[in-house]
Amino acid sequence: MTASLTDRYIDAAMRTLPERQRADLSAELRASIEDQIDARVEAGEPREAAEYAVLTELGDPEVLAAGYTDRPLWLVGPRYFLDWWRLLKLLLAIVPVCAAFGVALGQTLSGATIGEVIGSTVAVLFQVIVHIAFWTTLVFVVLERSGHAPMNTATWSPDQLPEPRPRGAGLGDLIGSLVFLAITVGVVLWDHFIGLAPLHPGLSFLDDGLWPWWITGLFVIMGLEALLAVAVYAARGWTYALAVFNGILNAAVALPAIWLLFEGRLINPEFWPTVAGDSGAEVHGVLSVIVGFVIAGIAIWSTADGVIKAARGRN
Amino acid sequence: MSESEALETHLQELRRGTVVLACLRLLEQPGYGYGLLEDLQARGFDTDANTLYPLLRRLEKQGHLTSEWNTDEARPRKFYRTSPAGSRLAAVLTEDFRAIAAAIDALPAAGTD
Repeated sequence: MTASLTDRYIDAAMRTLPERQRADLSAELRASIEDQIDARVEAGEPREAAEYAVLTELGDPEVLAAGYTDRPLWLVGPRYFLDWWRLLKLLLAIVPVCAAFGVALGQTLSGATIGEVIGSTVAVLFQVIVHIAFWTTLVFVVLERSGHAPMNTATWSPDQLPEPRPRGAGLGDLIGSLVFLAITVGVVLWDHFIGLAPLHPGLSFLDDGLWPWWITGLFVIMGLEALLAVAVYAARGWTYALAVFNGILNAAVALPAIWLLFEGRLINPEFWPTVAGDSGAEVHGVLSVIVGFVIAGIAIWSTADGVIKAARGRN
Repeated sequence: MSESEALETHLQELRRGTVVLACLRLLEQPGYGYGLLEDLQARGFDTDANTLYPLLRRLEKQGHLTSEWNTDEARPRKFYRTSPAGSRLAAVLTEDFRAIAAAIDALPAAGTD
């Protein structure tokens, strides 16, 4: 004997229910379905058509079962959605960038080619994003089903409203930029005329070959950066034009600096061997890579910062 | 969302709580799933079987209904009955529904054009 549609329907509905509720629920559901079929048959429908129609009306048995047990039919529901979304955004804003930077640095230090560095960085970046999204969501899916209380049990209050975002256009920002530029110029001059290593007076960190033209060029660009800081202050905020100018200035410093670094003309080749002794050559190699990454990192960060503030300022 | 879909959603939301109230009031006399479904429909509470059956279970779990199997007839059926807590809930809901109805009556007349 083959199972009737009703049997199959009840089986399907009971499958996801806790064992101890099944006997009671299946008996009740069967009686209800048969009552409904009988009513249709009395109204003149053939029994098979009536059964088919009744089950169609009841709909997907798993939806019905979820209704019996209050089981959520979503991965992350309204109770947790905002907690999940805020945490996910926070993690995605921080972790992938750090991981990619770390991998690129590590690969470069271990002597990988530029192709290998880019390849493994992109691969790691992708994996990290997928892992963060998956595991974060999984935690919330479990929370949703374990009936835990929401994370912020305290009710929301206006105190939690975000502060207005800094637009980077205050007098403090202007002074900060100018002081930073002045200190940088001071350090470069100090390095050339006095030396940064206290035990080795006269030993410069930057290569002496950079004087006078490369260093003059650097000072010119830094003068332009000072003008830019004043312009941002005068315009009461970043505009796209200023952000583009900022990007050009950053590139004008970073690209030659990195090129000089890998040509071996940025850092004084005598510096590390003199300061660090025997392992100086190795230190020189490792630190050259790190310096390169820091230069590129600062340039990218500064450029992105200007663009983001310009985009915000438009709203 | 088309206009008729939107209308359907609004009507559903407006009616949602009234089915609970109707069940609690009707089950002062013991009743079983399908019998109650027919009774509700006859009295103008448009309800689907697949929302009513889980609803009865929930109300029972909350203690607003009690249940008992009746095996006297050929087809055993589970009979539900409103508990004292359910009766109190029904009274509160009825009161509130009247207050809402009165408040709606007191609103400025709806435009008919």
